[in-house]
Amino acid sequence: MKDKHIIELLDSASIASLSKSELSEVQAHARDCVSCGSAYEAAQLSEVILRSRAQVTFEPSPFFQTRVMAALREQNAVESVPAMLRLWKSARALVSSMAVTTAALAVLSFVLPAPITSVVETSVDSAESFILDHGNDDQMSYAQVLSAIYDEGDEAR
Amino acid sequence: MDLDLAHQAQAGDESAFAEIVRRYSPRVFSVASRFFRQRSLVEEAAQEVFLKAYTQLGSFEGRGSFEGWLTRIATNTCLNMVRSAKRRPELTVSDLTDDENGWLDQQSAGEAGEPPSVENTVVAADLADRLLSVLSPEDQQTLLMIDGEQASVKEVAEVTGWSESKVKVRAFRARKKVREAMEKLLSYKGTKVKSLAE
Repeated sequence: MKDKHIIELLDSASIASLSKSELSEVQAHARDCVSCGSAYEAAQLSEVILRSRAQVTFEPSPFFQTRVMAALREQNAVESVPAMLRLWKSARALVSSMAVTTAALAVLSFVLPAPITSVVETSVDSAESFILDHGNDDQMSYAQVLSAIYDEGDEAR
Repeated sequence: MDLDLAHQAQAGDESAFAEIVRRYSPRVFSVASRFFRQRSLVEEAAQEVFLKAYTQLGSFEGRGSFEGWLTRIATNTCLNMVRSAKRRPELTVSDLTDDENGWLDQQSAGEAGEPPSVENTVVAADLADRLLSVLSPEDQQTLLMIDGEQASVKEVAEVTGWSESKVKVRAFRARKKVREAMEKLLSYKGTKVKSLAE
């Protein structure tokens, strides 16, 4: 292994899990190869800090059990409220806003006049009469009919 | 016995669930400590774990150990909490505190063989958190268990529910990333020391 780079080996297993012979071969190669040497040093330090990190643990406080039981009672109290009531509580705002929107639409539809519709109807009527007036004229092309309709529409607007 | 406790708790016996909390709090805290360094966050996560466990008690059939079942819930709960937290940007040498710089110098000078003091352990753990922040929460958990706690690939697979090959891939990828980040840090540090000396 002395001539073989060891970086892949360092990434595939922790240094602590290497056998004695593997480790001595890794060290021998790391001494002679600059890139593997720095990789080995970094891998060693990484393992040291990871082991230190694993040592940092917290113990539960004496009040932890009480705190969990209180949270559990609270959770159970929320769940004991009937489902329909909870649904109504959460949907109340949505239902109110939908009612307001419906009322507003009803006012707009039935109380206020609709001028745009009458303009369109007028323009369609004028176009119809124009075409019918020229109905006997066999020379009127499809393009002329279309331009007559659109011209009338534009004028009406 | 655990199965009896679980059945009693599921039937609404509060004292049975309180006993579960008392018995398994140290284990849940130990799992949560892998993910969080602030006591308040560890406690919050542990409470969340027990509330989840309570609602899922019916799914514990007693085939495996109760501790294993709870550890899995704890791991997944903490992973979800960490996933929703913001990831920190890549670590550079200028981000290192004086203590962390000093610790790295001490290690490079060959004092690694000495038993670490409590202060040094905390500094090294801080540095570990900074380096681990370049990884996904799943890769952090895998590397911390295998290289930090010397857990086997099988143990990690059991706790997380991943396949063993997935754990191996995660460990390889995480180890490589952390090693490269550390190498980069050491090389920057070396350059800085050299330029100061010149």
